[in-house]
Amino acid sequence: MTFSTLRSAGIFLSCLLFIFLLTSCGPDRLDDYSDESFELVNQDGESVTFPDDFRGSPLVVGFIYTNCPDICSFITANVRKIYNADTYPEGTQFALITFDPERDRPGVLKSYAAAFEMDRAPFHFLTGPPDEIETLMNRVNIRKAVSSEQTTDSGESIYFLSHSDKILLIDSQSRLVFDYGGSMTPVDIVAEDLGKL
Amino acid sequence: MKAFTGIFFTFTALLLLASCQQESNNQADDELMQGEGIEVSDAWARPGAEGRMSAAYFLVSNFNDEDDVLTNVEADAAQTAEVHESYEREEGMMGMRAVPQLDVPAQSSVRFEQGGLHVMLMDLTRQLSEGDTFQLTLTFQSGDSVSVDVPVRL
Repeated sequence: MTFSTLRSAGIFLSCLLFIFLLTSCGPDRLDDYSDESFELVNQDGESVTFPDDFRGSPLVVGFIYTNCPDICSFITANVRKIYNADTYPEGTQFALITFDPERDRPGVLKSYAAAFEMDRAPFHFLTGPPDEIETLMNRVNIRKAVSSEQTTDSGESIYFLSHSDKILLIDSQSRLVFDYGGSMTPVDIVAEDLGKL
Repeated sequence: MKAFTGIFFTFTALLLLASCQQESNNQADDELMQGEGIEVSDAWARPGAEGRMSAAYFLVSNFNDEDDVLTNVEADAAQTAEVHESYEREEGMMGMRAVPQLDVPAQSSVRFEQGGLHVMLMDLTRQLSEGDTFQLTLTFQSGDSVSVDVPVRL
């Protein structure tokens, strides 16, 4: 056995040990929101402080705007399917926060929630003052930009947004544990990870 | 040696995946040979609130010997319906663009699916919830027109 073979074997075993240590430590915390506090409003017009009001419960949170026909309805449906999977810890809460607060006022979110049959606990559709939402989106790394504008057949001017596509899992101490592509990640993977919290 | 073994297994896995994909495509082609004219199948749409948005998805198949072009879409549950396409603009950023005309080549099919091609339904005239249906009509350059009932589901 040559020296280089021994060295390769050593590197290989070191990598295995490193991977083992990583996987044996449970989910890493990607970020910590416990010192943050954002004053939001839910679909019923009630004040909600994020993430403080969810502390003590795992939280599944997606980011949407209701004038988005494809990706955001996909994210919303995925959050509902994670709930339907019924593998989450007791008390888990499910939130969808708009990054288009100018148009997505509480009444709009309530109608949107009703269409998805999610206008009920444990679902929360959240909006807020535009500057507060902007600060929150920056904090959770959600980006958006106006991509196009057009006029509908009824004469209404409407704009569309390019945006980040995310679902986050936040633990009961307001720490970010998992970060997924909101529309693309298979629901069963999110549901399985949620069961680890 | 280990690197070679790793590459070998990765290559084998990719070959297996590719052969599965080929088999799937062949199945679609076999199905394609069994139809005639232009057909729309597997249609469904997302829930949406009145006055807001939804999206419809389906498989459109052109069994004719001539290429065709989808030129217009209409839905009886929306003021405006248009073909749009979602795409990844840059890492993690999803955008959407209009597709005013869509080629549907002879003896082939085009799938409208989440995160890709879809019929955008704007200004819904009624709430669409799971279990509801509405009618979608697709018009082609050839003059053919196809109407389908679209169920709403998650």
